[in-house]
Order: sequence, then structure tokens, then C-alpha cells
Amino acid sequence: MPRPVEKLVSLTINGNEVQAPAGMMLADAALKYGDVEIPVFCYDAKIGPPVGACRMCLVEIEGIPKMQAGCSVAVTDGMVVHTDTPTVKAAQEAVLEFILINHPLDCPVCDKGGECPLQDNAFGWGGGLSRFIEPKRHFEKPLALSPLIAIDRERCILCYRCVRYSQEVAEDFQLVLEERGADTFVTTFDGHPYVAPFSGNIIELCPVGALTSRPYRFRARPWDIEQAGSVCTLCPAQCNVSFSVRDERVLRVLGRDHEGVDDGWLCDKGRFAYQAIHVDERVTEPMMRDGGELRPVTWELAIESAAKLLSHAGANTGALVGGETTNEEGVLLTHLMRETLGSNDLDSRPGGALDLELLRALNAPKLQASVPDLQYAHAVLVLDCEPVDDAPILDLRLRKGVRHHGVKLLIGSSRPSALDERAAHSARFAPGCGEAFAAALGAELAGQSSASLAEAAGADPADVVALATQLREAGEEVVILWGERLTAGPRRNEGARALLNLADQLGLNDRDGAGLLEIPSGTNSRGLREVGVLPNASIGLGDAATVGRDAEQIGEALAAGDLSAVILLHSDPLLDQPSSALWQRALGKASTVIAHAAFLTPAVLEHANIVFPAESYAEKEGTVVHPDSRVQRLRRSIARQGETRAEWALLAELAARIGNDPKALTCSMVSARIFEQVPFYAGLSLDLIGGVGIRWSEREAAASFPAAPAAPFTLDAPPAAASPNGLLRLGSFRSIWASPEVEASPALAFLHPRQRVEISPGDAARLGIAHGENVTVASNGDSVTGLAHIRAAAPDGTVFLQTSIPKGSAALLEGPLVEVKRS
Amino acid sequence: MAWDPEKDVIEVIRGPQKAGGAGGLYRAFGETLRGLKTTFGQLRMGVDTIQYPEEKIPVYPRFRGRHQLHRFEDSGLEKCVGCSLCAAACPSDCIRVVAAENTPEHRVSAGERYAAVYEINLSRCIFCGYCEVACPFDAITMGHDFELSDANRSDLIFTKEMLLAEPIERTPLRAEGE
Repeated sequence: MPRPVEKLVSLTINGNEVQAPAGMMLADAALKYGDVEIPVFCYDAKIGPPVGACRMCLVEIEGIPKMQAGCSVAVTDGMVVHTDTPTVKAAQEAVLEFILINHPLDCPVCDKGGECPLQDNAFGWGGGLSRFIEPKRHFEKPLALSPLIAIDRERCILCYRCVRYSQEVAEDFQLVLEERGADTFVTTFDGHPYVAPFSGNIIELCPVGALTSRPYRFRARPWDIEQAGSVCTLCPAQCNVSFSVRDERVLRVLGRDHEGVDDGWLCDKGRFAYQAIHVDERVTEPMMRDGGELRPVTWELAIESAAKLLSHAGANTGALVGGETTNEEGVLLTHLMRETLGSNDLDSRPGGALDLELLRALNAPKLQASVPDLQYAHAVLVLDCEPVDDAPILDLRLRKGVRHHGVKLLIGSSRPSALDERAAHSARFAPGCGEAFAAALGAELAGQSSASLAEAAGADPADVVALATQLREAGEEVVILWGERLTAGPRRNEGARALLNLADQLGLNDRDGAGLLEIPSGTNSRGLREVGVLPNASIGLGDAATVGRDAEQIGEALAAGDLSAVILLHSDPLLDQPSSALWQRALGKASTVIAHAAFLTPAVLEHANIVFPAESYAEKEGTVVHPDSRVQRLRRSIARQGETRAEWALLAELAARIGNDPKALTCSMVSARIFEQVPFYAGLSLDLIGGVGIRWSEREAAASFPAAPAAPFTLDAPPAAASPNGLLRLGSFRSIWASPEVEASPALAFLHPRQRVEISPGDAARLGIAHGENVTVASNGDSVTGLAHIRAAAPDGTVFLQTSIPKGSAALLEGPLVEVKRS
Repeated sequence: MAWDPEKDVIEVIRGPQKAGGAGGLYRAFGETLRGLKTTFGQLRMGVDTIQYPEEKIPVYPRFRGRHQLHRFEDSGLEKCVGCSLCAAACPSDCIRVVAAENTPEHRVSAGERYAAVYEINLSRCIFCGYCEVACPFDAITMGHDFELSDANRSDLIFTKEMLLAEPIERTPLRAEGE
């Protein structure tokens, strides 16, 4: 459903004429347009429609004899509202006295004290006296609602916010209210802990201290802390966050509402993984391998040795760049590699280098959908990605679109998606066959026969026909949310062409509210490509003078001895790259491995000669680019921990020692250089980016984006999906919790995944596997063990394993077929 | 109007030109003697000097000296729950509170939380007593000790243990009606 058109109505609030959009709730309109605050507890526009549970917002509206709840009445033309009459005042005092009947007066011990809406409202609108002398209700307290959230039921004022959030926003349906009247309490339906990807949001929603964060419990008071706004770089969703900082430590992370990015929510990884900044496991000083073990050394020694080793290796150096790298670090690394060492072998894409032309076509500004488009489009096609794992916050956005704006959600993926139950139609295809599936959809939309292509994709031809019909009938505004997986692997170029053809069939080019939105594998993948951290592109996606090796070729060259050194900038190939075996060989053979890492992940621990401590996202400054082309700015929120130094300065220093000083004195100098050199960033500045970022594809400078070939492309027939033939197809996925930060955070560590083998009930019965049993998955002599997880929605003939975990990752296996048996 | 040097005359009025005689003596010592009359007149009033530190002026009960933290007399638990309101009220920002959670095995205060760190930087404190006013549990009060000088700044940061300890009664208290 397209964005609603705003129609202004005029109403009178306390005698002042106010213009507000029709349909807006009175409480919102009064605050935003009339500068009149109507106190509320249960209402928050972002949870959805009001319920009017707390009655705090009573106002008088002329023509209606009784007082009305300001949160549940939409503004209409000619409405006359009074919020400051004696009647309203008396009602507010009475409601507050009523709410406070069962509320314990333990503000000094309560964690919400000082930032509590109940305190504020009682102070601002309350009568100050209570006539209630009877005993208050009592509950056992405090209880752990989950390992992350503490619940104090005595403080609960039954505003329903958390329950509504769970039921209508996150749609995990775990929180419910039990009992009636004053005995009502919030609990989970089955009494199990409330563990969900987005559970932490209820802490921020609770208007009293009933739901508090356990990691933050009693850590600080609002006046002890400072809020520092920045961007979370733990996943490509790049939510805007605000760090609560006390004594140069991040104590908690709050959302910084941004309609264009996160809609005011955070996932639990973003909310709690800040703990990893302050753990002992973190690398906070440079280390060198000495006698087979990494030992701390001085900065001088580490830099000098690194410079010596790199200048010795010269052009035989490769570099892998991880997604947490900022644009500035990326540019300084390309300076170090290309201009200083003379090597073009650097890559930020794990899936192999994509044709530059296709990359330009996929990133063309006119084809980019924005995040809010997901919520207002006629239809959204989720193609070969799982939002909740790959960019969690988009999952909530899609649910909102379906629930409130009638978005038709269509899913084409190999692994069952958490969004399936909200989808108008979902189709499954064999892992790695996204290209064939996109081609089949494109063919069906073009009116050709798609059956053979669907067959090749391992999908049900009827599914493809149904999806295509839905897409055709949905309306003009279609957004395709696609995962980088579609353009990875040996047939990546064909995958990109099939996707571009599909977009062309749907006419997504240059249409407002429609387009492509990629979920890349790394946080800043988009920015890194645009500043030229690719083997085949220069800064601004220009042609590279010499085309270098891509990630896989770097691995092969290292293993073959053609390259001797490798720089791992926030990248652990044993976790990020598709083949662990190749990288074990490559890193074992490499004579120099220089890593910039925050944690001693497998590749760093086993193979690095020199480890430089990586800054955490709260310590970093620089710019990153959101997948929807929004350039955002990271700001330093705390002092660097331990001996950590700025990484941009380190990269500049390394280049200077080798003999080619990039003359970067500050990070903002490098940013300014990027804005100058990337043609489509022209005119940007850090001030312009500010706290909310700016989408470069919406600016005039986007016109200077390099020209790309136009669809349709001719596609060659994709290879058919491997037939299981007694074995199972291997599919892989990266869990939202699979990251070193989650593993290192004490509060989140319980979520860090162990390998589990997702298998369909049919296959499990055939192989005699029971749920929770230990099973071994083997291919070509390599094997991985994990717990069997029988999933009803899993398609027959496919087994799904996790990647990016330190032990038993799916990357150890070679597909497409594997053997699964009980171990 | 132009400046005319002829008209710019400063008149200096001098005293009598003749020196010597009784008048001269009076002019020389008269004022001094008058001052000495006041001085010697004080002799009969006795000595008013307090021989501090051997001798001390008693302070009034409401005198605001060095802070004290208190415990419940019956249970021995700390009254302070680490709510940090004193730190919020402090105009010179000299109080630092870091709270922690009580556990059944390790119970420090009566509430859910307690002050794991409670520090007052007495070199910054202006002894306004706002912390005492803000405290919802009467856990902090202003004592009577004002002899706080030290040779070292860092020694003036009083920790929770120092504030909880029974103060040495160095200062006499003025009795009722005294």
C-alpha cells in the first residue's frame, strides 16, 4: 500500500488553532503541532494502534459529554479540545492516584528512577496525596523474565505496552497477561524465559521500572551517565543507537529513533553486545607471535615489524577486509595496498568478485529502495535472505508493513524463514540456486515457460507461478529485498543478471517506492565497494587500472605460494569465507599474517604473526554506508580501551613507514578526501551527514554515478540443482547470534550458537534421527557434528548448518551434497 | 575651549609653617597616644584567645561538618541503598556512587541495591548539606568534624568505609541552651 497522503485538518487545542494531519492521534498531534503535552502511559505510536488502557490522557472535547482518551481519538476538522480545565485536572489527579495505588514507593532502589514516565507524570499532573491506606499487592520480586530482563511485577501499572509489543510488533506471541483485575500480571505464555531476537525493546518501552535490563541493573543513574549517539555496526542494518557512557565505559545501548533506518527498535545483539567492549578477552594491545604463541609487545615494535614484513612482501600481499571497516579505513587500506605495496589483491566481498558493470547496475541510484519503502510497498519479495539473521531490524519493518499497511509479503528462500507465517506466499528452492529461481520468476513474469528453470532451482513450478502472479497483481511498487548470497559463488554474475532481469520485468527502475534493497554480508559492505575496496574497482566504482585477485583467488594464491603476506582487516576467513579448508591451507602457507582484530578468533589465534587491536564501534570514528545508500557517521563515544589506537592512524602510519605517506592527519581529512574523490558523494560533508545520515542516491550528485548496462540481459541456462539421491543437499546460514561479540558478552553468551543440524521430519524419519540427538554431517572425508534439530518447515532433501561459528562450521564441508547420520 | 596653561593652577594648602613647641609635640604624638588609650583600655577585659588546637570552641548541633554514613542499629545493615540522589543533589559534584545488587549470601543494605562504591571528595565539598536533605533513608548526615586538612589531595577522597566508621570525637558539641 503506498504511503498515505497527508491531509491537514485544523482543530483548536486550548484556544489555539492547530493544523495537524488527519487521522493522527490527538495526543501526538497536540504535542507535535500544538506544543501541548497530554500525559500518556500506555500509548506509543510505534507500538501500533492505541488501546486506551491507562486513562492518563483524558481530555475534554466540545460536543462530547464525557471526557475522551487523547491517545485513541483521531484529530478531525473543527475539533475543539481542552486539556487544562479543572475537570481534566481532576481526572488526571484521580487516574494517577488510582495508578499509584499498587505501585510501591521504592524509587530510590528502582532502576528507572530519574528517567521514569510515572515519576514525571506524577510530578507534573498528580495530586501529590494518596488516600489509599490498605496494603498494596505483593509479588515475588525481582524475577528473571529472561537472562536479559528482570521483571518486578509490583511496579507494573498494567499498561499492556510489553504485551502489545510482543503480540503486534515482534509477533513472537510470548508475553501475555494472566489473571484479572488487580491480580493481573505479565508473564510468558508457557512460563519459559522470554528469549527472542527483539526482547530487549520492552525494557525501553516499559513506562515504569517493572522491566529492567539485567546487565544494566543498578549500574548507573541518569545523572551519572552521558548519552553518546552513534551507529551500531554489528550488522548491515546499522541501527542508530545511543550509548550510555559512565567513566568511559558503555553501560547500555538505547535506540535513537530513526524512521529511515530502524523505526526505533533494536535487536538484542545490538542492545546487549556492547558488553564485549569491556571484557578481558578483547585484544587491547598489539601482539606478536613468539615461539608459537601470541604475546603482547609495544606498539613501536609491532608497527616496525609489520612495516618491515609488508615491504619485504611488497606486491605479494593480499588483504581481506571485513564489514566493520569504515570507509576511511578502507580508503587508507587501498592506499597501503595499491599505491604503497603495488598489490591489487584486496577484497571486501567473501563471495568472489562480481563483474564491475553488474555491480554498478545493482547499485545504480535509481534502482535503490529505501528502508521505509519496505513498509509502504505494494509487495516485497524477500529473495535468498533471512532478514532476522542477516539484518534483524528489517524483520520488524516487514512485519509492520504487513500488519499495518497491507504489504503483500512474498518469500523465495532455501531455508524456511521466520516471516513465512506472515507471507502471502513463500517458495523454497535448493540452496545456492537463487539464480535459477530468480530466472524462473523473471521468465514467468515475461510470459515464458518457467517450469524447467523452476526444476533447475529445485523449486516447485507451481510456487514460481503463484509468486509471479502475486507480484504481477500486487501493484506497481515492488521492493526486492535480496541477500548477497544470490551474487556469490561461481555463478555470481549470472545471479546478478537474473536479479536485474527480474527487476526489469517488474519495472522497478526509476520508480518511487520501488527498487532493490540488498542485505550485504558485512555491515559496511556497500560503503567499502563504493570506495573501491574491491579487486576490480577503484574509488567511486571506477575501473581499476589493474584487476587483482578476489578473496577466493587470494586464498588460492597464498596456498600456492604466489602471495606471501595477507592483511586481515576485521576479517577472519575461517569464519567469513565460504571454504574453511582452503583458508586453513592458505593461512598455514602464508609467511606473514597481519590481523586487525578485537578478539582472538580462530584464524587470528592460530595463524596471525602480528595482531593489532581493533577499535570497537563505540571507539571508532568515520563513515559507513547503509545498504539503502544512507551515509552514516560513527562518532567516538568512549576513550579507547587499553592500548588500542585509532586504526585509520595505524594504516596511515604503516604506509608512511613503508615510504608513501598518505598525509592523513585526522580522520575527517580522510572523510573529506572520500567526498571529493567519489563522484556521487560530491558535496557531502560530515556536518551534512550529521546524526541522521543522508542518502546519497537521493542527492543531485547521484547523477554522476558511473553508467551501467541496462537489463534485460540474456541468461544462459543455470545448472540443475544437485539431486539428493539418498544424500542431502547442504544449505548454510549465519545465525544472528553467530558473532565473536555475542560470544564475548557475558549476558548474551548463552545465545551464542553451537552447531545444529536442521533437518525435515521426513528426512529425520528416513535416517532414524531423533530431535536433539548428536548427528554427523560428512562430505568428501570432512565431517561436522551437531545436535539434530527437526524443523517441520524444513524442505525435504536439504540439511541446514550454521556458518561463522568457531567450532564445526558448515564452511568445513564441501557441498552440494552431504551425508547425515547418527553419531 | 583651548587649554590655557596660565589658568591651570593647582593650589597646595600646607600646614602651619612653624615647627617646634608643645603644638609640634602634640602634632607628632597626639594621634598615637589616642590610639594607645584604646589599646591599654582593653587590658582590663582579660584574654579572649582560644588556644586552638589544645582548646576548641564547641560547635552547634546543626553545624555541618564532615559527613557520616549510618547503619541500622539492630541489624547492622547499611542504611544507604546506593540510590545516588545525594550525587544528583550535590552542587559541587563531589559524590560518586556506584551501586550493586544485594544477594542473599552477601547482604549489605536493607533494599535490593547497595552502594558498592561511595566516595566523597572533601576537597571539593562545600558543606552545603544538600546530600543530607536529599537522602530518602537518612543514611547520610553531616557530622561535626571540621578538622579535615591533609597533606595529600587524594587522602581527602573519603571512601565508604571511612564515612561509615565511628567518627573520632574531636570537636566538642555545644550543649542545649549554651
